[in-house]
Amino acid sequence: MRRVAVTGLGVVAPGGNDPREFFASLVAGKSAIRVLGDDWTERLATRVAAPVDVDASAHFPAARLRMLDRVSQLALLAARQAVADAALELADEERHTAGVFFGTGMGGAATTDEGYATLYRDDSDRIKPFTVLLAMNNAAGAWIGIEHGLAGPNVTYSVACSSSAVAVGEAWQRIASGTTPVALAGGAEAPLTLGTIKAWEALKTLATEDPDDPAASCKPFSKNRSGLVLGEGAAVVVLEDWERAVQRGAEIRGEIVGYGLGTDTAHITRPTVEGQARAMRLALASAGLAPERIGYINAHGTGTLANDGVESAAIRSVFGAHADRLAVSSTKSMHGHLLGAAGAVELVATLLALQTGTLPPTMHLAEPDPECDLDYVPNTARAAPHLELAMSSSFAFGGTNAVLVCRRA
Amino acid sequence: MTTTFEGLREILVKDYELDPARLTESTLLTDIELDSLALTEVIFSLEDKYDVIAKTNGAGLATLGDVAKYIDQLIAERDAAAPPVASKKRTTGR
Repeated sequence: MRRVAVTGLGVVAPGGNDPREFFASLVAGKSAIRVLGDDWTERLATRVAAPVDVDASAHFPAARLRMLDRVSQLALLAARQAVADAALELADEERHTAGVFFGTGMGGAATTDEGYATLYRDDSDRIKPFTVLLAMNNAAGAWIGIEHGLAGPNVTYSVACSSSAVAVGEAWQRIASGTTPVALAGGAEAPLTLGTIKAWEALKTLATEDPDDPAASCKPFSKNRSGLVLGEGAAVVVLEDWERAVQRGAEIRGEIVGYGLGTDTAHITRPTVEGQARAMRLALASAGLAPERIGYINAHGTGTLANDGVESAAIRSVFGAHADRLAVSSTKSMHGHLLGAAGAVELVATLLALQTGTLPPTMHLAEPDPECDLDYVPNTARAAPHLELAMSSSFAFGGTNAVLVCRRA
Repeated sequence: MTTTFEGLREILVKDYELDPARLTESTLLTDIELDSLALTEVIFSLEDKYDVIAKTNGAGLATLGDVAKYIDQLIAERDAAAPPVASKKRTTGR
């Protein structure tokens, strides 16, 4: 097995349009969740969500923009940052093996919505010619490959909320096994459309708006949590064979040392302690680490009643007595649930926690829940100068549980 | 009344932010980086604008003048037919 370095980070997410801004916002405990003001949101029962404050259209020429759904725009912006951060330059022969491993749950949700509106609302057959190309799930990954000339494997994983954690994990395996020396890995999601939010609303999993402070509507691990808050965004990391990165003098931002992947087969949505625990154990085993070595977990921590208790119990079952010395936080309390992009965005948060020795907090944790009995770094960031190893968990509808383990560089 | 070429130019300026000074009837599609995929979309917009239905995606058209002539031909065919067949609304169902 070869070591896998992270040499570049890129993120466009609620709270920050680059890694530094994003992480500073998390450490400040600043929530990017707010009440959406657009006219179309009047039909929503809950109007809180976590949008990205970026005019992505300003970054693309008009002809290109017409071919990009918002999900691809966000993905391309994050990928550009990661490539620039890595100062990545590839020889022609390297381009033939360099890959893109991408995750998205929905692909071009706005395009799909718009197509249906044309067809059913407007009773028109004039579906736009690029609808297929904008909406297809692999569009974002494909555009990243085109823009950066990466001609190796280009694969998109669509496993709901584990999509981009799986994408990073699968890229990690490729590099660790020596088949791909360089990869861009990550994910993007742009689900803030009427059709998508309505569908989530119908599932009764969305948080109700906090009447006193809408920004505090997502309350992971708190007894008064009422559900998840949808967000949009993208994150991309450059993964590189460690020796290659060292030889070219790259600045190494962190290391991915383990990946665990397993599936709950009990139910399409309901998580299990056993399933989540198994993915964590697999990740530790693949890293060759005892559980006691982990200092911090960036939890899946959606803020739903179902997840947070199960996840807490799963952590306790894997870490035993060490669970009481472990710091666990859910940054979703601030950036919301980015679905297919969540794993990659939270991986970036985890890598920056390691790099800076600072644990981002779980915000809005006001009421302790006996079922959630761990140290969630409540409401205030914490210095952790000795933090060396951390975990990032993603658990999906459909049962796919994906866990990544990272080491400080 | 504006010509079809002028209508085409309006679309290219508005949707593709192209400099109108670059757009003449003899301008090659390749010179303004309008590939076959982009041309498909431009023809779609022209269909809406002139209420015609193109039978092809414009393959074989080389210049902006060619594109305008192709649309003119569709308009002539439409006008020759009775009743008009092209419609923005679907033609089947309720």
